[in-house]
Amino acid sequence: MNTTSNTPPHLSPKMKMADAINQYHSLLTVLPRLGIPLGFGEKSIGQLCAEHHVSEALFMLISRVYCQDDYFPTATELQQCRMSDILQYLTCSHKDYLENKLPHIEHHLNALLEPMDKKYSTLITNFYAEFRKEMEKHFRYEEEVLFPYLRQILSEQEAAASATYQKSTFHQQHDDIEDTLNDLSNLLLKYIPAEISPVERVDMLLDMYALSNDIAKHSMMEDRILLPYIQLLESKRHE
Amino acid sequence: MNKIVIAEPSTMLRIGLERLLEELPDAEVVFSTDNLSSLYARINALRPDILIINPLLFDYAKRATLRAEFDQLPNLRVVGLVTAYLESQHQRQFAGVIELNDDIQRIKSTLNQVARSVQSDDDESDTAPLSDREKDVLVCLSKGLKNNEIADQLNISVHTVITHRKNIVRKTGIKSVAALTVYAILNNLIEEKDII
Repeated sequence: MNTTSNTPPHLSPKMKMADAINQYHSLLTVLPRLGIPLGFGEKSIGQLCAEHHVSEALFMLISRVYCQDDYFPTATELQQCRMSDILQYLTCSHKDYLENKLPHIEHHLNALLEPMDKKYSTLITNFYAEFRKEMEKHFRYEEEVLFPYLRQILSEQEAAASATYQKSTFHQQHDDIEDTLNDLSNLLLKYIPAEISPVERVDMLLDMYALSNDIAKHSMMEDRILLPYIQLLESKRHE
Repeated sequence: MNKIVIAEPSTMLRIGLERLLEELPDAEVVFSTDNLSSLYARINALRPDILIINPLLFDYAKRATLRAEFDQLPNLRVVGLVTAYLESQHQRQFAGVIELNDDIQRIKSTLNQVARSVQSDDDESDTAPLSDREKDVLVCLSKGLKNNEIADQLNISVHTVITHRKNIVRKTGIKSVAALTVYAILNNLIEEKDII
């Protein structure tokens, strides 16, 4: 089977990082989470990964998830990545959402709803606050239950590791998060009166679509990479 | 009710999937087969809503244009049953994909999504505002009533309540009751004090 067919056109470790970002803008959110700062001049993806001690295989895996909606990694692609690297990236993403992305949106939301009757605007800010709490809860669950469980399997502490997560719940939570964000953007797009902050609303919606897209990719990383990896490890354990 | 046809070469998988689909109230498997010739022989007469098919039934060269084999059935939604690595350009032609490790919840949500895309194509009232009856249902929902309670209150069947709910979600693009409640208040269908 031809594995290169899995790579979006031209995306390879030899490609210039700047070209990759110019072609796939959404990759921009990935760099800070991996500790790769901007201002990299003409350096290639491979060079930058080496310089910042990022696994090249991990970078390519994440890039494929971001650039290809229907990407499923092959077993070989999975095994080229270290689980601990994947977990670290996911944890950094959580931190990015909670510390940067969500407060940013909340800040803008509050500003744009300012001209609106408090009676109505509070409804929307409350809805957002609930959404944020759900996200925090989901991330906390992953970091406090799921990831430690994985690390246990990895370190082969057979006795202590027990399956405390449920695959279907996990999928469901991801779907719920995406649905809620989608509900919120529809409320802002369709049902807030036209005269309320027209300019800010466009910016806000663009931010929300970008976040929604990023969270969808994040869920894909967990649903299509993390879970198959867990299954792979669990089946090895039981052999 | 969605009529489903399954085409899958492995007997174990085919029967397993049939068994799983029995758990879904709005899905009915009308025919299942392990080969293409019997599929071609029956599919036109059966007019299923959804075909779940393993692309491995086709030669490699034909796999990319698999959907075109069923062009005579424009409303048919083709779902891939993917049991081996499948190239992305082949995967793209499917309305949805079921994978070997999917559980019943996952399969259910895939099929629901696919079925919804069937409905909205048929229905041109997508741009109509909510009907009065839909507004009634929405108000009840916002008050925290369950389907059977709404049915009692409005004197309609639970089935009708569900149809109204589907239409509300389709028209507004809003799925959660919490967000629908915000919608209801923004549109003055309900006062905040009415919400429990």
